[in-house]
Amino acid sequence: MTMKIGVYICECGPNISEKVDIDKVIDAVSSMSDVAVVDRYKLLCSSDGKKFLEEEIKKHGLTHLVVSACSPKQHEKTFMEVCENAGINPYLFQIVNIREQCAWITEDKDEATEKAIRLTKAAIRRVRYHAPLEKKEIECNTDVLVIGGGIAGIEASLQLVSANRKVYLVEKTQSIGGLLTNFEKTFPDMQPSSALINQKIQSLNNNENIKVFTDSEVEEVLGFFGNFEIKVKKKAEEEPIEFDVGAVVVATGSNIFDPKKTPQYGYGKFDNVINSLEFEKMNLSGKISLKNGKIPKSVAIIHCVGRNEKKYCSEICCMYSLKFVRYLTNKIPDVKVSNFYSDLCLPGKSYQKFYEQTKGNTDFVRSMDVKITEKDGKLNIEYKDETGKKSDLSVDMVILSSAIEPTSDASKLAEIIGMSQGDGGFFAEEHEKLGPVSTSTEGVYVVGSSQDPKSISETMVQSEAAAGEILSSLVPGKKIEPEVKVSHISESLCTGCKTCLSVCSYGVITFNEEKKISVVNEAICRGCGNCAAACPSGAATIKHFTFDQIYQELMEAVK
Amino acid sequence: MSKVEGTPITKGAIISTKLNTNESIIEFLKKAMDKKVFDAVLVPVRVPAGDSFAYVLIEDKSLLKDAAPLSPIMSVQGAKAISGMTKLGKGNMKIGAVMRPCEIRATVELTKINQTNLENITLISMDCPGVMPISDFLKDPEKSMKIYEDAVKRSDDKIMRPVCQICDKSSMVSGDLHIGTLGAKKGTFFIVSNSQKGNEVMNKLGIELKDNVDDWRNKVQDVFEEKHKKREKSHKDLKAKTTGLDNLINTFSKCINCHNCMKVCPICYCRLCYFDSDKVKHTSEDYLDQAERKGSIRFLPDTLLFHMGRMMHMSLSCVSCGSCEDACPMSIPVAQIFSMVADETQDLFDYVSGRSLDEPIPLVGYKEDELHEMEDAK
Amino acid sequence: MTKALKINKNIEQGILEFLKLLLKNGKVKGVFTLKKINDEGSIAYSLITEPEELNNAVPFYPLMPVNAGKLLSRFTLKGSTKEPVVAVVKPCELRGFVELIKREQGSLENLFIISSTCGGVYPTNMAVDGTIEKNLSKYWDAVKKAEIPAEIRPACKGCVEFIPYTADITVDLIGKKDIDKQFTMLLNTKKGEELAEVIKGEFLEKDLDKETLDKFRDKRKAEEKKLFEKIDSEMKGISGLVDIFGKCIGCHGCMRVCPICYCKLCEFESPDSEYSPSSYESEVKKRGGVRVPQGVLYYQLGRLTHVGISCVGCGACDDVCPVDIPLATIFKKVGESVQKMFNYIPGKDVDEPLPLVTFEKEEFSEVEK
Repeated sequence: MTMKIGVYICECGPNISEKVDIDKVIDAVSSMSDVAVVDRYKLLCSSDGKKFLEEEIKKHGLTHLVVSACSPKQHEKTFMEVCENAGINPYLFQIVNIREQCAWITEDKDEATEKAIRLTKAAIRRVRYHAPLEKKEIECNTDVLVIGGGIAGIEASLQLVSANRKVYLVEKTQSIGGLLTNFEKTFPDMQPSSALINQKIQSLNNNENIKVFTDSEVEEVLGFFGNFEIKVKKKAEEEPIEFDVGAVVVATGSNIFDPKKTPQYGYGKFDNVINSLEFEKMNLSGKISLKNGKIPKSVAIIHCVGRNEKKYCSEICCMYSLKFVRYLTNKIPDVKVSNFYSDLCLPGKSYQKFYEQTKGNTDFVRSMDVKITEKDGKLNIEYKDETGKKSDLSVDMVILSSAIEPTSDASKLAEIIGMSQGDGGFFAEEHEKLGPVSTSTEGVYVVGSSQDPKSISETMVQSEAAAGEILSSLVPGKKIEPEVKVSHISESLCTGCKTCLSVCSYGVITFNEEKKISVVNEAICRGCGNCAAACPSGAATIKHFTFDQIYQELMEAVK
Repeated sequence: MSKVEGTPITKGAIISTKLNTNESIIEFLKKAMDKKVFDAVLVPVRVPAGDSFAYVLIEDKSLLKDAAPLSPIMSVQGAKAISGMTKLGKGNMKIGAVMRPCEIRATVELTKINQTNLENITLISMDCPGVMPISDFLKDPEKSMKIYEDAVKRSDDKIMRPVCQICDKSSMVSGDLHIGTLGAKKGTFFIVSNSQKGNEVMNKLGIELKDNVDDWRNKVQDVFEEKHKKREKSHKDLKAKTTGLDNLINTFSKCINCHNCMKVCPICYCRLCYFDSDKVKHTSEDYLDQAERKGSIRFLPDTLLFHMGRMMHMSLSCVSCGSCEDACPMSIPVAQIFSMVADETQDLFDYVSGRSLDEPIPLVGYKEDELHEMEDAK
Repeated sequence: MTKALKINKNIEQGILEFLKLLLKNGKVKGVFTLKKINDEGSIAYSLITEPEELNNAVPFYPLMPVNAGKLLSRFTLKGSTKEPVVAVVKPCELRGFVELIKREQGSLENLFIISSTCGGVYPTNMAVDGTIEKNLSKYWDAVKKAEIPAEIRPACKGCVEFIPYTADITVDLIGKKDIDKQFTMLLNTKKGEELAEVIKGEFLEKDLDKETLDKFRDKRKAEEKKLFEKIDSEMKGISGLVDIFGKCIGCHGCMRVCPICYCKLCEFESPDSEYSPSSYESEVKKRGGVRVPQGVLYYQLGRLTHVGISCVGCGACDDVCPVDIPLATIFKKVGESVQKMFNYIPGKDVDEPLPLVTFEKEEFSEVEK
């Protein structure tokens, strides 16, 4: 069948026409072989313009279409739809950007025109080698996987679950509840945290549409938004559990910084130097005591432990330190509590008040170079005060308010899911302001302290936000279109070296042991092109970006 | 040696022998077959016509009479022999394969990309004196055998392949067992083991690895330092000759695109080389377009592109064996050039090709923190 | 009698002037010929579009870095050339191209062919150290006297097909003592006549000198006989084959440079030629020892079967073999014996179908008994 390429240049009313000599472009490309018609139009993306293109295609019996106009990001889809409506496969089309790449970047009309000619010619030559590709449509799965059974995960689960949306909650340890189960009270309201967490856990357990896996870890996440294939491994069992979901919420929480890394505080060296989590647990058990069983009369709370090492502020330690003051002064009436700090972090409407209302025999010592030693059987805090003067204080117990850091298996999980880790090693959100709970992987959300150290109230906000996004975008009956421009590996050329497998960012390539070749799962391939670039023999190729297509476009562009 | 060797081997076995190196190795193989440690052995054997050598898988011990573990030439790179046998899977026979260190290194590299299966193969290397270029050997095969034996005895490497003369990894141990002749007292040789497999073989043979091998290690270190210096100088000189596009084009100007170098290279494993595929076959319009831009183009064009492309594809795994240069009909110093570049590219990643099966090829490893020197490169 | 054009110029200058005029007058868009590509005397085929670039072209240089038939096939593989191009090639290169055209691997459309009576070429390794340059005058002396220059390719020494069959223009070289002053181009086709219009010369009616060339052919036949007899004695039976091909290292260079070998993926490099460990193991148990990798003899005999019918005896295989197996002589001998069975001369007539794919009801009755 003879090829008939239609080339249309948009004036972009008059964004392009006043900077690019369109008639010159028309002249230059008219003589190219297989070009049946070249024309210009005021505004091709308007409804008139689209109608014009459709009619042109039918009138001239065009087989391929080239449109020189704006950025593909803007209107590639628009013109692909026009093709479809006019009866041409939408992939036998190429858009050329002569606006952002020509008209808008120079004042020199000759320059802009010359470039527009080159780009258009290159596109015409490329489109000759396009192959028709079929779009696919699959129904999306509306279920959600929530990883992590702490307050973040529990809240997200409760917000998401409904009659037609199951939630799978996977928890690494033997029970859900997370860090909150270690706290007696929460700041700033100083209400019992059990009230908060137990009620949530009960709602969760009563809901038959939430399936909880404890002692379990996520082993594999393959696929894409609306179509994830999940494997979960329960500790005691051999075979992993498999199920499909449409979205994933990562709520895996955080760890406490290990003060052994800051030996100046004597953690692990001296008795009665404990970290914040240990103190919370001790307080919850009902008895605050020293190692020898005696009640401490003097306690020092050292703020910002690990801040210099981690190079960020963990936001909540000052507040929980103030909470600790209240624990101590309420339970040990005549205790003396000294806070050693360099700055106090008290943002928001309620935190300053919490600080000001701190009662009891407490003082706040602005200090630096804090060092803990032992002197006369008691702990001795050596420090420099604001003026630089050296001083020391003898106490019974030292509590280290330590930084919050990512869990030790964060990297492993990041790799499994395909998430990035940002500052501090925390999971990276898509954008600080424009995508605070989504990630660069569509369909994967991150909430809670696995994303950034934060308070419980901020965590609740994120969990509800993530749930909201999922609820609005993953609706039952919604159709998703998997990527069409995917990789393909030639069976005869592949020698099974697995190089493509090693560089595939999405885990869509598997190895067929029998045939000893690599195979692409085209349903979940994203068409990133890593495999095609890495394969030395060219066995792996990307549809719509084949060697011929790129070569021809390039050769014409540099002619 | 500390850069080249993994964990230093301190103990081994000192074996007494009345035979020369070739014969000692053959005896060792025979014993191993007698004790059923190996079902068969893979070793170079003189061809019936007597004018070359080829790898033969031997089950019948009597065929070992024509075997030459230290053959004077490397006709087929040993890694190609191993991959030819085991690319499609592991065999059931236990095989002992004797090859040069560079052949074993290439085998290790091929294993990383799934082109061999070493499960039932024991790799045995030896201190390598080098091999002669095939064309020199063929001038008079009988005479060449004697010239080679003589040169080996006198530790004279002037007759060897140019890359053998500057090889500083001629005693590198990356297989399972290694026969050490350097530093050995007359009438003895060392055997060391580099792996669990090697240990088991020695165990089954009833040879204990408890002797001190410092004499071997020290001599190996001496040879390494001497050869390393020679290698650096040679590369420096070669770099001066080949730096710059004009020099590079001239160096490869006699290339006739036969692709022999690619075909004999143990690392080049693609079934259909990119540069033999449809991707380099263009239309007459494209060729004429190209010709018009310069007024004249060599036909076929892209000769240098083939070499640069091949270099990019295999440089990280190049073991400097020199098979490519032997196969080049136009005497282009391909091996010398590729070795020089390979040393530099492998250095970038602190990688030595074939050093260890546990080291993945840098190409497929992603590290967030690396190659900072490239960030400010001009 | 054929139309011919005598040009009163030295052959070296004259041919270059002719080619330049073809470009300048727009008769062709490109010239395909041998050219010195750098100051060190490296010579390669080139596609030339700028007349001045022809200054260091050497169309009849006694070197064949690559068989040009393969190159012309590559040039027209994706479709015949839309612009006219002229190629100066040797007779066996032209025959190779014709054999490829019969297999849909090229097209003569818009391609003008200039060839010559051919005195042979030197092995490519003599180009490495400038030996050919040193031998040039000796070479041309021999050609002028219709003698065989010493040291040319064995395939050339024994070649009896030194007259091109399908060229548009044949330049008469062998036995022509006066090519330093003048040379004659036989215009075999209308296309050839069209090209000749650009240059001044004397039009004649002339054929090649039969007597000189017949005597020359006899000399070549004698050389061929010597080569074949030697090979015969070395190649007797299976053990002879094993001996002569024993050195083969499986580099397949011969396949890659052969003009006839056109497969995208050679059978002997495909999965068909990858053997499982169990085949090695069962063979070694049967025979006691088996060569690794397998298939050396199989490859050689296989290639003989595949290309023998079309072997044009150019000798490119000899030059590329790293272990000096006398491939050209072997393939030529076997090839010619097969070709004789069908009265077939490869590359003689582009319309003559390949014997291998033609079925004749009445043939080979001798093997029926």
